[in-house]
Amino acid sequence: MDFELSQDHKVLRDSVREFVEKEIKPIAMQIDEEHMIPDSLVNKMAEMGFLGSYLPEEYDGAGLDMLSYAIVVEEVSKACGSSGVLISAHTSLACGPIYTFGTEAQKKKWLPALNTGKVIGCFLLTEPDAGSDAGAISTTYRREGDEFVINGSKIFITNGGYRGTGVLFATSDKSLKHRGVSAFIIDLNSPGVEILKNEKKLGIRGSYTTAFALDSVRIPAENLLGQEGQGFKIAMDTLNGGRIGIASQALGIAEGAFERALAYSKERKQFDHPICELQAVQFKLADMYTRIETSKLMTYKAACLKDAKKNYTAESAMCKMLASEAATYVTKEAIQIHGGYGFICDYEVERMFRDAKITEIYEGTNEVQRVVISKILLS
Amino acid sequence: MKILVCIKQVPDMESRFRPNGEKTWYDESDLAFRMNEYDEYAVEQAVQLKEQLGGEPEITVLSIGPERTVEAIKKALAMGGDRAVHIRDDRYYQKDPWQIASMIASYAKGEGFDLIFTGMQSQDRGSAQVGVIVAELLGVSCATTLVGFSYDGGTITVKRELEGGIKGVAKLKLPALVTCQLGLNTPRYPTLPNIMKAKKKEIASLTAAELTGEAELTATAAIYPPAKKGGGLVLEGEIGAQVDRLMGILKEKTAVLR
Ligand SMILES: Cc1cc2nc3c(=O)[nH]c(=O)nc-3n(C[C@H](O)[C@H](O)[C@H](O)COP(=O)(O)OP(=O)(O)OC[C@H]3O[C@@H](n4cnc5c(N)ncnc54)[C@H](O)[C@@H]3O)c2cc1C
Ligand SMILES: Cc1cc2nc3c(=O)[nH]c(=O)nc-3n(C[C@H](O)[C@H](O)[C@H](O)COP(=O)(O)OP(=O)(O)OC[C@H]3O[C@@H](n4cnc5c(N)ncnc54)[C@H](O)[C@@H]3O)c2cc1C
Repeated sequence: MDFELSQDHKVLRDSVREFVEKEIKPIAMQIDEEHMIPDSLVNKMAEMGFLGSYLPEEYDGAGLDMLSYAIVVEEVSKACGSSGVLISAHTSLACGPIYTFGTEAQKKKWLPALNTGKVIGCFLLTEPDAGSDAGAISTTYRREGDEFVINGSKIFITNGGYRGTGVLFATSDKSLKHRGVSAFIIDLNSPGVEILKNEKKLGIRGSYTTAFALDSVRIPAENLLGQEGQGFKIAMDTLNGGRIGIASQALGIAEGAFERALAYSKERKQFDHPICELQAVQFKLADMYTRIETSKLMTYKAACLKDAKKNYTAESAMCKMLASEAATYVTKEAIQIHGGYGFICDYEVERMFRDAKITEIYEGTNEVQRVVISKILLS
Repeated sequence: MKILVCIKQVPDMESRFRPNGEKTWYDESDLAFRMNEYDEYAVEQAVQLKEQLGGEPEITVLSIGPERTVEAIKKALAMGGDRAVHIRDDRYYQKDPWQIASMIASYAKGEGFDLIFTGMQSQDRGSAQVGVIVAELLGVSCATTLVGFSYDGGTITVKRELEGGIKGVAKLKLPALVTCQLGLNTPRYPTLPNIMKAKKKEIASLTAAELTGEAELTATAAIYPPAKKGGGLVLEGEIGAQVDRLMGILKEKTAVLR
């Protein structure tokens, strides 16, 4: 067993880190305050290949692996959790299912624009009355000639505000529960797609969280993803991979806060000594670092299992749970180590604390992760 | 056109530096490594020239060092180098600039490079000698400390940084070697697709023993951190007496009042 990154992964990590230090870190506070990632940054991340990292080169992806993708999301999230989730939702939740379940024609049509970031992707599953219970969605579809007609609404859609390409879930008959669900590729500029609002929220404020109304939206029949009735399976498989992205985002947020807390504890003097000489502070640092390293091991393991085409369902649930809980814990303690300064916006750990919380909720709440893990144990 | 870029992997300057057991180098267990910053400008300039010439020149990247050096080489390939030569040498840090330069020259001699880019100096040793010695050994013209570079029809025009904020302009005919100063250009970030492409590029591996090496001219006797300074002396008491004591100390221990 070898826990070292390969030379190629180190080169990747260092290159991404350099980009993040120069291009993202200086504007992370602005992104939070303005509730907006500047288009110029989205374009730069696209040029860097961050939006198609593990998709094959034949579809204009970078052709790297899942571990590389995890590293990209982690490094970006160290500076900015909003930018991290933009990449994660786009890659895992839009490019991912189109690549995995799409026909050759669908992949050729949709992936190049997504992988190069010309179009931003999103995943439309959640509805006002269907969150954890995703099989209970009530957005409907019906076939009309060469088209499907969609009616309903979607909420909390990350990247929705870009009106790019979505992977949409709808049911033919709600009484069939999850067996009635199908997946579609939707161009969010289609007539009948209306943005109701972009939510205001606690954290990841630079990331769009969009509510849509879908009023008789016509989708060409060729945009059906997979088979009819296969939608729920597609959603679950997609979220399985997506959790590695969210774990990486959470891990990055935790690491960003930890770096700041460690540095601050060496600089800050009280009672004539740097506060890092106090055991009360030292124990906090030890606990924070231990949770970060544990989460990192599990996140990288889940990514490596996916790369090896082995089953990774339990690991992706565990890494998402571990890393998100590490993120809320570490960011809270990072504020504590900063004392009163930590509570003030200028010190950035305040933003990281707010950004961390969502990682315990989306792509399956941590309660749902525990359901997933225990089901595997007891099956 | 054949271009050679010489790069070095150096400790990240934010690492913690401690002498190793032999006291002739650093304890590497504490160090993170990266490409020498000056060399990033060298790679970038070579890649810009290749782009200017429609992709015709072939860029070879050369580095001397242990296994981990491949990370710096891969970065240079991801920035746009075409192929690389890794001269494996675990004891590279014991070699003086003369030996390193003679190894490079020994490799480059038969290769017919038209233009060689190096960094102005390395961030760890800072000798600023390797480039100029390679030029001398190969008998090609050389310009150092570049802050500007242009190429036109077999001639390069370079802007050099001189002392006292003065710049100088020189024209050199190829073949030539130039050493690059910080700020010469803006080194590009390796993009993910280019990192992927770099994986497929050739990295030829040679051992130091396969090249004609020279004996060292200077040897590192010891490296050590500067001695910790004492806490200083605080004079106390009546102000006149303090002045008298200060005068006494200055007379005794310094030349300022003599
Ligand atoms: C910022 C943001 C971005 C989002 N991005 C997207 C997106 O891009 N696409 C998308 O489709 N959705 C997205 N979501 C939705 C997100 O995935 C859901 O909010 C999440 O799945 C939880 O659903 P819910 O909000 O309806 O909560 P509920 O399901 O109502 O859960 C409420 C509470 O009950 C608990 N609970 C529910 N069921 C169980 C159970 N069986 N066992 C134990 N506990 C349970 C939950 O853990 C939680 O604590 C996003 C949400 C937010 C806030
Ligand atoms: C919103 C806000 C309102 C405030 N209002 C007021 C006010 O009205 N009036 C006023 O005077 N002040 C006020 N304060 C200041 C507040 O009381 C201080 O921030 C607080 O006492 C902590 O001091 P500090 O910020 O300097 O942190 P530090 O003292 O630098 O502490 C940094 C970290 O080191 C730890 N630490 C420090 N010393 C020890 C030790 N000996 N043993 C173990 N751990 C230690 C701390 O617990 C903390 O985790 C306010 C602060 C804020 C943020």
